[in-house]
Amino acid sequence: MNESLNFLIGLAMGLNLLALGSSRLPAVIRAMSLQGMALGLMPLLMEDHFDWRVSLVAVATVAGKGFVIPMLLRRAMRAAQIDREMEPFIGFVPSLLLGAGGTIAAVALARQLPLLPEHAGSLLVPGALASVLTGFVLLIGRAKAISQVCGYLILENGIYLFGLLLIKSTPLLVEAGILLDLTVGVFVIGIIVDRIQRAFDSLDTRKLTTLRE
Amino acid sequence: MTPGALLLLAAGALMAGIVSGPWFARSWLTFTLAGAIAGLAAALSVLFGAADWEWWSAFSLGGELVHLRLDGVSALFLALLCVVGGAGAVYAREYWSEETYPASAPRGHLWWSGLVLSMGLVLVSSNGLHFLIGWELFTVCAYFLITLDRQRREVRAAGWLYLVASHTGTVFLFAFFSTLAARTGSWDLHPMQDQAALTPLFWLALAGFGVKAGVFPLHVWLPSAHANAPSHVSAILSGVAIKMGIYGIVRFSGWLPVPAEAGGVVIGIGATSALLGIAFAFAQNDLKRLLAYCSVENIGVILIGVGGALLAVTNGDAPWGRLALAGALLHVWNHGAFKALLFFGAGSVLHATGTREMSKLGGLWRTMPWTTGLFLLGSVAVSSLPPLNGFVSEWLVYLGLFDAATSKGTAAWAAMPAAIMLAMAGAIAMASFAKAGAMIFLGSPRTRAAEQAHECGNFMRAPMLALAGVCVVIGLAPILIWPLVTRAVGSWRAVEIAPEVPAPLITLGLVHVALTILVATAAAWLWRKAHATDLRRSPTWDCGYAMPAVRMQYTSASFAGIVSGWFRWVLQPERKLRRPHGNFPAEAIRLERVPETVLERIIGPVSVAIMRGSTSVRRLQHGRLQFYILYLVVGLIGLGVLVMLGGAQ
Repeated sequence: MNESLNFLIGLAMGLNLLALGSSRLPAVIRAMSLQGMALGLMPLLMEDHFDWRVSLVAVATVAGKGFVIPMLLRRAMRAAQIDREMEPFIGFVPSLLLGAGGTIAAVALARQLPLLPEHAGSLLVPGALASVLTGFVLLIGRAKAISQVCGYLILENGIYLFGLLLIKSTPLLVEAGILLDLTVGVFVIGIIVDRIQRAFDSLDTRKLTTLRE
Repeated sequence: MTPGALLLLAAGALMAGIVSGPWFARSWLTFTLAGAIAGLAAALSVLFGAADWEWWSAFSLGGELVHLRLDGVSALFLALLCVVGGAGAVYAREYWSEETYPASAPRGHLWWSGLVLSMGLVLVSSNGLHFLIGWELFTVCAYFLITLDRQRREVRAAGWLYLVASHTGTVFLFAFFSTLAARTGSWDLHPMQDQAALTPLFWLALAGFGVKAGVFPLHVWLPSAHANAPSHVSAILSGVAIKMGIYGIVRFSGWLPVPAEAGGVVIGIGATSALLGIAFAFAQNDLKRLLAYCSVENIGVILIGVGGALLAVTNGDAPWGRLALAGALLHVWNHGAFKALLFFGAGSVLHATGTREMSKLGGLWRTMPWTTGLFLLGSVAVSSLPPLNGFVSEWLVYLGLFDAATSKGTAAWAAMPAAIMLAMAGAIAMASFAKAGAMIFLGSPRTRAAEQAHECGNFMRAPMLALAGVCVVIGLAPILIWPLVTRAVGSWRAVEIAPEVPAPLITLGLVHVALTILVATAAAWLWRKAHATDLRRSPTWDCGYAMPAVRMQYTSASFAGIVSGWFRWVLQPERKLRRPHGNFPAEAIRLERVPETVLERIIGPVSVAIMRGSTSVRRLQHGRLQFYILYLVVGLIGLGVLVMLGGAQ
């Protein structure tokens, strides 16, 4: 069981790097949605026996992160008629290096942290840290609003991984609330992206500096 | 009537003045005068009576029960406030009338009554919270009075500077009162000398009230505010408002325990203010700025007296301390009277000629005999010359200092230099007012405006005459006001002092009367001689100039040249000099300007540096979301590192 869990987390970490290294927005969205589905399956693997509530969470997560959110993003992308990140603040190779360095640092850091013995062997904590870091790199390093949404979602995936440590004590309602929040957030961002595109003829967030005060 | 009823009457009349002020000028004047007279009566009934007036009310304001108290110290200040407040109201009736200033005069009425009322509130309130409320109201009313003529740019600048400086002082007062309330557990103010833990609070009070009083390095707001305000406002600012700072220092040095060094420090601040204030005054060309800097000097004189009293407290309650304090408190009164008189005179000159610059005036004694006479009387008083009131109070301070200097102990080391600096300041003060009088009233008119000056009317003359009367009465009969001063000194630290008039004061009064008779006789004899029929009149010797012109007269800068040279290290004058060359020089220039040294050389650059630092921080806020997230990450990592390091220990 632990091996398959670690495999999924390793997959998620690989998808992080894919998202960092890709300039094409559909690829980033795909990486993000695959990561979301991989994470969605994890609660099923962590439970020893079948629990319908956990299954519900897993199904909802897979549906939300794997299908609904990517669909919304693709629609926004089509409406805005862009599919490439042209001028990132941090280039793709440096982002990749940062992500790889961050992953190594996360593994090293996780060894230093005082974890429970049952979590010590798993990749849960390093994977969570690496995803959070990847999300931040995407948020800081990309100029297009859609890439930033992807960064935000990957950041959220990292937080979700941390949340898995506490799955036994987190009520179902909180999980559902987080998921709902996320969907609404992406929904709103999709609308905003559309509006930005119509108002400014561009999705470049660097041009949105005049409203700072 | 009891003081309470009188105070209620005064407050009611002033409130009626506030309400009626903007619409009915005449009833405003009546109400304000009635309020001033009622307040004066209340103050005098406390000063001449034996008991303090105290009133606990069941009414609460801001969560604190209203507690009012009028004792000797506050009554003395209240009496001064009422005299100057009433006189200024009468003066404003003509000086700042509706006919000349239709927009600002009605506003001025409102704020004037408000100012008198709020200063009265500060004086009678015996609760820290209400004291602060009154203090803030008084600051704001004064701000609106200073900026009455707000169309002019320099007036607005002066108002801002005043507001900022005042609030800097108020910050200290907030710290003072809230710490006091925290340590004693109540906002109520009363004598608490026995609580030694409160000793350091004295420094907070000194800083906070020092800004308002305008002691030397903190005086930056004072010259421009006094110069640019309308003259009746300058009079109440200089005569009463800055005395509220003195009131605070006197009040809380009396009610709280004082540190051992307080006496020396206050004397030092006073002596510095006296000497440097008058050095700046002498170098000014603007009449009202000269008077404003002279106020800094007089605040210094008062603080020397207060410092002497504090020094005596730490030297076993020596009797010379009371003498110095009596001098200081009397000087509060005297300075209020003669400085208000001088500002009224300056206002009269400004009213007649439209300029405050002394180098544009001259020869006004022909056209403005009343103003000339009254201004000169004020000048004699402010120069502390006998037989007027300025001499009496400074002489009491000197007596205190001399007694301290001859006493065996450390006090001598503070008192001796202070006496010397006080004497130097007095000499320069006399020179300053010789200069002002000579430039403005003597010689020939330097400009057309000065030539066409006219005498002021009755509404302006009457308050000047009243204040001049106060100066003369205190000068000739100091024994009359001695009981009032001893009453105030007695309630400073609640000690009994001998009510009988000290022998030197009786002698002084007699000498003053004799001197007056002598001077009057000599003047009458000279007058008769000058008006004798067989006198031959011819121009004075003109040094061989074929065509003397008015521009050849002494200017105010040339009059002050030598003394300004002595103080160049602090005045830092800016000069521009082009000497004449050759046998037929084309053009020669000599310009000299004395800047507001503390403001322009110290506070200005420091504020510019602070502003620059703050502006550079603003660059962090550029509107790029990516960088904001980066700040967040950096902050998070920093916090993480901090936690890890902290956890390792």
